[in-house]
Amino acid sequence: MEAKGAASALGDEDAVIGLLKKINENLEELNRKLDAMIKMQESSKPIAKAITSGEMPLDVDTLLSLPDHLRKTALAICALGEATATQVAAETSRARAAESDYLNQLVSLGLLKKKRKGRDVYFYIER
Amino acid sequence: MATKAISFHSYKGGTGKTSIAANLAAIYARLGHRVCLLDYDFRAPSLSVLFKPNPKFWLNDYLNGRCEVEEALVDVGKGLGLEGAIFAGFADPSTRAIRDMMTKDRAWEMGALHRTLSAKRAIQRSLGADYLIFDTSPGIHYSSVNALASSDAIALVMKGDDFDMEGTKEMVRGIYDVLGRKAGIIMNKIPMGFVEGGGIVKGVEEELNIPVLGVIPCYCELMAIGGRSIYALDRPDHPFSKALEDLSKRIAGM
Repeated sequence: MEAKGAASALGDEDAVIGLLKKINENLEELNRKLDAMIKMQESSKPIAKAITSGEMPLDVDTLLSLPDHLRKTALAICALGEATATQVAAETSRARAAESDYLNQLVSLGLLKKKRKGRDVYFYIER
Repeated sequence: MATKAISFHSYKGGTGKTSIAANLAAIYARLGHRVCLLDYDFRAPSLSVLFKPNPKFWLNDYLNGRCEVEEALVDVGKGLGLEGAIFAGFADPSTRAIRDMMTKDRAWEMGALHRTLSAKRAIQRSLGADYLIFDTSPGIHYSSVNALASSDAIALVMKGDDFDMEGTKEMVRGIYDVLGRKAGIIMNKIPMGFVEGGGIVKGVEEELNIPVLGVIPCYCELMAIGGRSIYALDRPDHPFSKALEDLSKRIAGM
């Protein structure tokens, strides 16, 4: 009876160690993800600022701080005023699907707004 | 032909941007082209010294949303015997207007960028202009960067005695390269002794990684007239006018 109890205690100890190992692995994974997120935020501070404030106007200063692919799209919207992804794609000579993605990224950054008119989605700068 | 928009820009002031821009506009118009010349130096307007206009609206009014860009243009080529035409838009030189432009906020500048980009489209659509020339403010200011962002090509005007290479290099990298615009250098007011040999050209090209489009020697008689004459029209055989004719071909090919 005593030996059985000792074996059971040892089994419990293994289970606890296994559990602790699993928790440690998860914490390390979480740390890696947090480090990557901090790195991303550091490398895109101006963009992060736009996201957090939601008040950054799409002027040349903001344009210059955008990554190249988004700048071309933003400049096209600045020129067109209000446009669909198809119209922007005609302006930039890039694929409509890519422009749609970039336009939605600019909306997420708080630099553009979008509205639906019938079947079309229009992107614009709120003045 | 689609309107080709060119900005004349510099890191420092007094490099001769206005004189070169106005003379090139005249050369293109003499060849039969339709040219639109816009004074985008709202801090120190100077195109009005040359043309003495009496516009119904200034470019300030256009940027403030008080008129369409066509209403701010004056046909300054009339009576100059040109085969083509020059339409010019002027920055208001009054102190009140200059002070007003200095107090604009970022939201206004965002609208100004949109109106500058729209102006190019309107000028192509309603004037059928072959060339749109921006005479910009030196350095990195909203109005000049708005013009650069609206241009297809940038002519960086440098003079012989202000080779602030580090500042110019920073501007080229931070603005021209980021905007992805074609750029070329015009070396102006270069003392005669430095023009020959080409060493000065090679040095600048290597420093800035931009080609030199032309070297214009320093002519004292040009300084004496102080930007009150379009030399390319008044004295077409002068070496300054000849140098600009060569330059006009290189800029057209940018």
